[in-house]
Amino acid sequence: MKLNTTIFGISLFLLLVSGLSAQPAAVSTSSLEPFSGEKGTVRISGGTAHIPVMREAASRIMKFNRDIRITIAGGGSGAGIRQVGEGLVDIGNSGRMATEAEISKYDLRIFELAVDGVAVVVNPRNPVKALSSPELRGIYSGKISNWKELGGNDKQITVYTRDNSSGTRAVFWDKALNRSMITDRAHFAVSNGAMKAAVSQDPNGIGYISAGHIDRSVSPVALDGILPGLENIKSGTYPVSRILYANTRSNSRALALKFVDYLLTGEGQDLFAEKGFIPVR
Amino acid sequence: MKIPAERIVIVFSWACALLLLGCVAVIVGYLFIKGGRVLDLELVFGDSSPIDAFMLKNQVYSGLWPAIVGTLSLVAAAIFFAVPVGVASGIYLAEYSRGRVKGVFSLFFDILASIPSIIVGLFGFSIAVFLHQHFSERIYPCLLISALSLAFLVLPYIIRTTQVALESVPLSVRQTAPALGASRLQNIRHVLLPGSFSSLAGGIVLAMGRCAEDTAVIMLTGVVASAGIPRSVLDNYEALPFYIYYISAQYSDAEELAGGFGAALILIIICLMLFSIAFLVKNRFMHQMTRI
Amino acid sequence: MRKEILVEKILFVTAAGSVFATAGVFLFMFYLGLPVITGGHLGDLFTSPWAPEQGLYGIRSMVAGSLLISILSLVFAFPLSLGCSIFIAVLNPGKMGWILKRTVQFMTGIPTVVYGFVGIFLLVPLIRNLFEYGSGMSILTAAFLLAILITPTMVLIFSESFRRVPVSYLDAVKALGGNPVQAFIHVILPYSWQGIIAGLVLAVGRAMGDTMISLMVAGNSVGLPRSILDSGRTLTGHIGLIIAADFDSLEFKSLFACGMILYVFTALIVTTARGLHYRKGAGSFK
Repeated sequence: MKLNTTIFGISLFLLLVSGLSAQPAAVSTSSLEPFSGEKGTVRISGGTAHIPVMREAASRIMKFNRDIRITIAGGGSGAGIRQVGEGLVDIGNSGRMATEAEISKYDLRIFELAVDGVAVVVNPRNPVKALSSPELRGIYSGKISNWKELGGNDKQITVYTRDNSSGTRAVFWDKALNRSMITDRAHFAVSNGAMKAAVSQDPNGIGYISAGHIDRSVSPVALDGILPGLENIKSGTYPVSRILYANTRSNSRALALKFVDYLLTGEGQDLFAEKGFIPVR
Repeated sequence: MKIPAERIVIVFSWACALLLLGCVAVIVGYLFIKGGRVLDLELVFGDSSPIDAFMLKNQVYSGLWPAIVGTLSLVAAAIFFAVPVGVASGIYLAEYSRGRVKGVFSLFFDILASIPSIIVGLFGFSIAVFLHQHFSERIYPCLLISALSLAFLVLPYIIRTTQVALESVPLSVRQTAPALGASRLQNIRHVLLPGSFSSLAGGIVLAMGRCAEDTAVIMLTGVVASAGIPRSVLDNYEALPFYIYYISAQYSDAEELAGGFGAALILIIICLMLFSIAFLVKNRFMHQMTRI
Repeated sequence: MRKEILVEKILFVTAAGSVFATAGVFLFMFYLGLPVITGGHLGDLFTSPWAPEQGLYGIRSMVAGSLLISILSLVFAFPLSLGCSIFIAVLNPGKMGWILKRTVQFMTGIPTVVYGFVGIFLLVPLIRNLFEYGSGMSILTAAFLLAILITPTMVLIFSESFRRVPVSYLDAVKALGGNPVQAFIHVILPYSWQGIIAGLVLAVGRAMGDTMISLMVAGNSVGLPRSILDSGRTLTGHIGLIIAADFDSLEFKSLFACGMILYVFTALIVTTARGLHYRKGAGSFK
């Protein structure tokens, strides 16, 4: 069997997933049944933590029914909420709750999809694998600028951050940094995937990504002694966590709602678990 | 014996030549080696069969095929919009405009040629959002908006090409038909345009290369990371240059990275093919001219 | 004859339409960016930092980033281009001259995003290990790649203006027993300085207008760069990054200020280059 080159898949999952999607009909007829006879396009944008799951779900649905087309873009949570609000897309994903203002302005319908942590990550070659909250704030404010000060190599720290549209940034800033300042020397990454790729290439880098995106290319950092593992996020021991949302408008098309419903079926929720998130159901 | 200043000039110029050749060799060589190693049918078509993909029977979910189709559709649509407007404006500039009008018009076309492509993208994006909010819910950044923006971006190239091609028709050829009683329009239609066809075609092919490689415009006007084959001009789409940018920033494993190298190799081959075609066509034009 | 007039009118309307569209881009940006200007934020625009969470939308770092990166790229590219143009137009040592000329023409066909892609995987690690400072994503890295991008522009304009020196001048040098290099130093260079400046100016415009290279390899940090090994953000890269912001926000509107700066800058450049170029009686420089 040829390996399904599912984009974004962690190579371990790739084997698993391609095994499943090679015979979609056999595995998932019941959950995909609502899509039979449907036609049209579902446009998705926004939160980048969701993307691996969205891509796999889209691929399954499009293979089940070739008349359906699902397009996926990033942009960050802020963009997702606003674009669905303006009607530019059908589903806007977000890694943070829409604000009161956004909900009332756009008449949003909000769905909780999964629970996710926001993990601090460093390059696997970096010996520093644990940080205290004050140390993390020191790094992100620029006061601590060399890994030596934290028991690491004598190398300048490269801080990576995300732009204002990012829900991951909002959660990280609120819960891990306690709303303290982020240095203006920080490099910018455009998505969770970009943050991971940047830190995996930069031996002196530090960044924060959705816990579901962690793989062997980056090392999670224990924050105040607690690793951002699934158990710790689930139990609440690891405090920097959030819910992943899908947002639609109250007048969204039926097909878009069917897509969200699929994500909330057992099969859809298993997909979140497979990709490293904690199902809500 | 040469004085040192001259020797310095010669050594310096050789050093520069070798440095530049070296840089190009490294860049292109690196891509060909890294990309050539991974480029195969599976990289392009994923797990679908190439024939199904060519017939657009099967949407290819993995592989570069949707991005290739997206780029080709984009180039076709942009050229479709840009050529009539560009050629018409070029004819006006070369054959009808005089004096101050000609000066002002060509200044504006030079300015248009220099506008950074991200600004054309920002313009296209804002127009799309404006139309979405005020006219139709069905308009949003999409293949059509990208194609129109790209057409605007390459318009000055096509205008210039047309103008230069027409103006470089030799005077002896230019004056023959009018001397026999042909009108200005007849002269353009039957003598000047056919006479400068190769040069014009060469310029249009170069403009196609520009459309194929531009990333800044499309990333603001409707290209997305995952879309499959576009079914209409109002759809989002994938494209090779954006895919390359996307992968460079956020590849998640070796396989995706290989896709990026493959895409870069394919894009550079497409652009160089277009470049060579333009070059050959223009050379033919030169021969024609000298024969006349 | 009526058809003749109709066709002329259609052609005029098309050409005039293209002109109006060009002006329209500027007017449109001006209109959308107006709140930033009238809201009394114009001063803040150039003095305050970019810190959206504090309501500050200053773009001074991006202006500095754009200027630094394009000027630095020119510092690298200008000598390189001059040397290559001398090689092609003056020394022209047989096969090698032909190869270099073809290579330079071929370079104009290499996609920008490909330069950025190779830059990330080849140049960034190299710079990081070489200087042992920062991430390797820096103003210097972007300037190196941009230099390669703008070199063909300059080489083609330079060598064309070298070739425009009247043959009689060169013959005079030859008659006096001078060699080609002497002809270059004493005749070609003084004669074609305007072409050289035109090439330089257009190359700055090309460097300022490029988005992908700085976006991909400069790191995009928003602080004012203190050294060329620091990360930086350009105006073009900024537009590419912030496009996802709320359309109604001041953050988004400030993009049009960036757009206007770039537009005015490149328009000035083109006007200058035209002035220099047309004075020599040449046609178009594209």
